[in-house]
Amino acid sequence: MTNFLDLRINDFGYQTEIPTRWGDNDMLGHLNNVVYNRMIETVVVRFTMGPLAIDWKQDQCYPLVVESLCRFHRPLSFPETVTAGLRAGRMGGKSVTYEIALFGEGNEIPASTGHFVHVFIDRDTHQSVDIPSDIRARIEGFA
Amino acid sequence: MPPSSIQTRDDYRYFLGLQTRWMDNDLYGHVNNVTYYSYFDTVVNMFLIELGGLDIHNAPVIGVVVESHCNYAQSIAYPDKINCGLRVGKLGNSSVRYEVGIFRGDENEVAAAGHFIHVFVDRATNKPVSIPKEIREALNGIAIEDAS
Repeated sequence: MTNFLDLRINDFGYQTEIPTRWGDNDMLGHLNNVVYNRMIETVVVRFTMGPLAIDWKQDQCYPLVVESLCRFHRPLSFPETVTAGLRAGRMGGKSVTYEIALFGEGNEIPASTGHFVHVFIDRDTHQSVDIPSDIRARIEGFA
Repeated sequence: MPPSSIQTRDDYRYFLGLQTRWMDNDLYGHVNNVTYYSYFDTVVNMFLIELGGLDIHNAPVIGVVVESHCNYAQSIAYPDKINCGLRVGKLGNSSVRYEVGIFRGDENEVAAAGHFIHVFVDRATNKPVSIPKEIREALNGIAIEDAS
């Protein structure tokens, strides 16, 4: 089993910076747990729009989340900027698991690790479909 | 919990009704996946306040989240009303695993189900401590068999 605290930002092929906002901290003085999940969603969405070139308004099939997980290892707080890393994990016919970690400023140990599972849905039938081959190939570049 | 076994209301021991809000829906027209975690956060804390006597402003011992997870089965959307079901799946000395089911309206099967793990820590030192007695009794009251 992976020791998640051993993960480093360079273990992730896709990286993006996410600023924190005043309202992200809750009354305990750290980012609220929901905000970590929001950041995980943000790195996934940026990845799908960037490297995967998915147009969720136009494409015949679009990704839909069916599962998400977040482990909280150490606190993050406003006003630091978070660096999020993403890599492709398990890929089935119709679903892909992205593995994600969030890093705080000046700390190489992940503040949070987790995953996010997308299935691909046909816009007309609303049924899950095989991941299109071009998208599959792009995902594999980040495995 | 295995996704194959669909959870129903009978599987939960405490319920909180919530009104979804306009801002909960995202561009797909459904409640955004992350918003479910704010429902988890809300039902867990309401339970701790109402039945565990938690004073969120002054309590010397607080719960911090170490893991959250959700499986999304059916969509819900504003202006749906929802019911959040809660039970304790595992109760340790300083940690508790809550299991949460989100029900759309009066439906009997969960729209989403997940878990949320708290570790109770001393507010000043941030070190794990035993769960306070009043909270432990409340958690025991909604625990499944063999949770301890």
